[in-house]
Amino acid sequence: MSAARAGAALPLIELTAIDKSFVPQRPVLRRVDFDVRPGEIHALLGENGAGKSTLMNILIGLVRANAGAIEISGRPVDLARFGPSAAARAGISMVHQHSTLVPAMSVEENLCFADPSGGLLFDRRRAASRLAELSQRYQLDVPPGARVEDLSVGQRQRAEILRALDRGARLLILDEPTAALTPGETAALFPALRRLRASGRGVVFISHKLDEVEALADRVTVLRRGAVSGTLAAGELDARELGRLMLGRDLSALERPSASGGERSSPLMRLRGLSAAGLGGGCGLHDVDLAVHRGEIVGVAGIDGNGQRELEEVLAGVRRMDSGSLEVDGKPVRPHVRTLRSLGVSHLSGDRERAGLIPGFSLTENWILKASHSDERFFSHGLLRAATASEATRVAIAHFDITPADAAADVATLSGGNAQKLAVARELSGEPRLLVAVNPTRGLDVGSTRFVHEQLLALRARAAAVLLISTELDEVLLLADRCVALSRGRVHAIPADADRAAIGAIMLGGQGA
Amino acid sequence: MEALLEAAVRLAVPLLLAALGELIIERSGIINIGTEGLMLCGAFGGFAIAVASGSVWLGAAGGGAAAACVGVLFAYFVVVRRADQIVVGTAINLLALGATGLAVRALYPGMAPVSPTFGTVAVPLLSELPVIGGALFRQTPYVYLCLLITPLLAFALARSRPGLRLRAVGECARAADAEGVGVSRTRFAAVLLGSLLAGLAGSALSLAQSNTFTEGMTAGRGFIALTIVIFGRWRPGGIVLAALFFGAASALQHRLQARGTDLPYQLTLMLPYVLTLLVLALASGRSSAPADLGKAYRRESR
Amino acid sequence: MTGWWPRGLARRHVVERFASDTLRAAGAVLFASLIAGVVIAALGFSPVEAIRALLAGSLIGPAALTATLLKTGPLLLTGLAVALCFRCGVWNIGAEGQLYAGALLATLVATRWLVGAPAVLVLPCLILAGALGGALWAAIAGALRVMRGVNEVISTILLNFVAIQLVSLAVHGPLQESAGAYPQSDALAQAARLPELARIHLGIPIAVLLALAGSFLLFHTAAGFRMRAVGLSPVAARFAGIVPERQLLLTICLAGALAGLAGAFEVSGVTGRLFESLSPGYGYTAIAVALLARLHPLAVVPSAFFFGVLEAGGGAMQREAGVPAVATDLVKGIVILLSIGFAAGVGGVRRVGPVARAPTSLSGPQADGEVL
Repeated sequence: MSAARAGAALPLIELTAIDKSFVPQRPVLRRVDFDVRPGEIHALLGENGAGKSTLMNILIGLVRANAGAIEISGRPVDLARFGPSAAARAGISMVHQHSTLVPAMSVEENLCFADPSGGLLFDRRRAASRLAELSQRYQLDVPPGARVEDLSVGQRQRAEILRALDRGARLLILDEPTAALTPGETAALFPALRRLRASGRGVVFISHKLDEVEALADRVTVLRRGAVSGTLAAGELDARELGRLMLGRDLSALERPSASGGERSSPLMRLRGLSAAGLGGGCGLHDVDLAVHRGEIVGVAGIDGNGQRELEEVLAGVRRMDSGSLEVDGKPVRPHVRTLRSLGVSHLSGDRERAGLIPGFSLTENWILKASHSDERFFSHGLLRAATASEATRVAIAHFDITPADAAADVATLSGGNAQKLAVARELSGEPRLLVAVNPTRGLDVGSTRFVHEQLLALRARAAAVLLISTELDEVLLLADRCVALSRGRVHAIPADADRAAIGAIMLGGQGA
Repeated sequence: MEALLEAAVRLAVPLLLAALGELIIERSGIINIGTEGLMLCGAFGGFAIAVASGSVWLGAAGGGAAAACVGVLFAYFVVVRRADQIVVGTAINLLALGATGLAVRALYPGMAPVSPTFGTVAVPLLSELPVIGGALFRQTPYVYLCLLITPLLAFALARSRPGLRLRAVGECARAADAEGVGVSRTRFAAVLLGSLLAGLAGSALSLAQSNTFTEGMTAGRGFIALTIVIFGRWRPGGIVLAALFFGAASALQHRLQARGTDLPYQLTLMLPYVLTLLVLALASGRSSAPADLGKAYRRESR
Repeated sequence: MTGWWPRGLARRHVVERFASDTLRAAGAVLFASLIAGVVIAALGFSPVEAIRALLAGSLIGPAALTATLLKTGPLLLTGLAVALCFRCGVWNIGAEGQLYAGALLATLVATRWLVGAPAVLVLPCLILAGALGGALWAAIAGALRVMRGVNEVISTILLNFVAIQLVSLAVHGPLQESAGAYPQSDALAQAARLPELARIHLGIPIAVLLALAGSFLLFHTAAGFRMRAVGLSPVAARFAGIVPERQLLLTICLAGALAGLAGAFEVSGVTGRLFESLSPGYGYTAIAVALLARLHPLAVVPSAFFFGVLEAGGGAMQREAGVPAVATDLVKGIVILLSIGFAAGVGGVRRVGPVARAPTSLSGPQADGEVL
């Protein structure tokens, strides 16, 4: 890629052969080259966990690289000294996905409170005129004097870009800027970004949406598993090629299990027209139809933040449906935790500390956590049957080889893998008819991941149904009999013969659905 | 009427000072239940130093300083150790009650002496104004301090960068941190400044409203200050009105008690609390409390 | 902290934890006494004399012991109330107000509604009224929290002041003694007084039994299990089919009942009348009691006894050693701070007991779509 240097201006920033690992032997970034030139929009693509955020954190000085070189406008920088303030002085600024504006303050106040060049007093009029001038120049429209919490997501984002410009940003990093925008807001953002480009600034644009990348980017760099898998110029863009770069080409290496011939007659669980509100500005769910039959694993692929969490919470029974219906065995069901459990629907979450286990409780207490309303084995007549409970836990510990093998130990002392083993064992112990597994191997090592996968397949072999919602496409492809993709809160079918590139394209923009 | 107004202002002043101190602390995202204790320390410190030095001014300064010292203790546990703010505040109250009660008996065996007090100072011309002249301009220096501090604080919160940073930390510590504002540093400073004001408020009790120190003499005023901050919806202007309202309620209560009217004075004592509860219950839509109030801040480790 | 449960394999843990918790509590008490002793000495009093007087007034001799036990009773019940609430993640600072509310309703029953009724009728009614009064008072804060998102710390503090004024209003008005001389209620009839043995009224053994019951509830019942789950992680509890709001209401009402009972017992067992300063701040000391007990209901018994010693011995210390009784408040404050310190361990920031603090706003319900 270095050959492609356009000669005219030195790159605003150039990273060469960057290595980074947080834990020894587990590199997050491997020999990554990345540069941004003045007057360029450089898109960055990659799956969750491909290393995008680490790379960006290195750019803004939050994370220090282990090895490699950084040059700013052609001048080498001492890696060890490149911190947030050095990045800020170099004019590198990031607009985060989650706003870092203070909601209860006005845009002008947000502009000023941490401005390193400000004096003791906050001059509202000067701030307002600066804001007006910038917003005029870049056509980034923000209502003057408004409190940030009263602004729309798009307006907030514009305010944040204006703040970065006000600080003299020469390189702007936008982390999935369109994730929470309406189509209209997105359409308004692009001309502004082009104007930034025209003013000689550099823009890094992180996105999962192909059409946007095609519309905006001068170059695209794709990260896969911590390494650059390719850098393409605007003219070479192609959906299949990008999908391949993002997800890899090892098509034949994966073998999907043959469908075990679950009766197609009537689905065990069916969602019709489900809509639910989004979380904290998220996209929510729109008109989701989904059916799961006995003896099959249905995979829901997709990139984080496309409605996974909302779908999980509806199916776990803790989120209200705004419209639509849920049927189990053909009968409509109001999704409540206890109703669903009594119908044999279990929920396994990769976000264990939030939705699965309670740190501070012992293994035994976690084992019986979901039983306190219904299970006569552990709770009879309102009393806790401690001996039965710890006995059952000990059996599970022995069977699933959980360490420490101590039913009374605090769950917080378990490693991630062992904690997830406990959670899996608990969900399976009730012999569920349907298991809703959400990112079930998140944060697990290879061995624990294999264990979880085996358990899911074993469940399917016992004619139970599994709904696997995962942001790891490999996992979905490995396990699922049938896949759909969740993108911007909508479900898109994935044809059985689709290859990874096609799936990637569907995940990125819902094309070909 | 004029006398009632004068009494209302006089009684409101310690409440107002303490509430402004609490406001500073809460705006930084810390809820301080220990105002009662801080005031008590201020009352005692002010009294002891005024007695020893013979100067009320040194006394007032000493009261503020004494409370600020206890504020350091509070800030250490709450900001540095990130201990629960409610629990530490409760401890500060008990600690201050015990320490000042003990100290007053130790330093002045028998009866506590009479301390010098602040007299009323009439502002020329202004004190001759009808109705408000006496209430606002023929008062102790504490009233003038309030007249000075309140607009200053309102201005600082709205128009100064330290004020903006304070609010940013209390509203959204994460965002403030991301912008390079030191959350712990700001909170520590806020606790110190707020404690200082609470201490001054306490000294007003021992050096202006009375002329001595008695055990537990704050008698719940610290909690009223806490209430005033809520009732005033975390704004200096609202807090002034709320403090005046509470001051008027207790002035009225004194008068009712003295006259022996049929209306039970407890009702006037109860009213502010009941009203505050109602305000809390009925407040709908946007909350005016700092969004990060009561939450210890830990930077997310990545 | 898991208490006496689970059995079998867990016993080793129980013993270990019991030992370490006891050591920590003892350490806190010892350090606090030491610091207080140094302060007392620095102020020119004799710490030896002070401690001697304190112990003489609280532990040595039957009269002193009786006084201590009478103070232990209300501290035990209110301490239990606070411990249960903190376990469930409910920050109830209102035990004082709940105590007064219970005392008020119990007095109303005894001196107005059931005058002249036999003990078999009036005593159970009075006890129930006490519990009911406290529970209703606490329910206000609980309902405000669940329905309107009002932070219970603030509402319970406010309700404390309202309850105290209500009592004042009552003893100046509708409940004032027939003689009309003092702001206090009529003396309770003998039938409405708790039976006592050597001045130890029935309420004290009942309080101890309730501590046992509280421990049983927390560690051996489904309801207690759910409370603890909510206290540790309300979101995870909701995913497990537990409704945090329901547990919160249940817990705060239960706590209110316990504190209200303390009020009824004071009136019926100790003072025989209702008056304004019935409680010397039992409801606030209760926080120290619960924290020293590391929120374990059984440990509340010795913890309450310790603070009972301070409460009863403080007076003697003032009379005989000239050290003011409020010095005991100094000890309470230090004990709380040290409990936090010991809980945190070296360099740690772990908080006492269940650390998960439910997100609440101080005014107005939370608008965003979070599960809790």
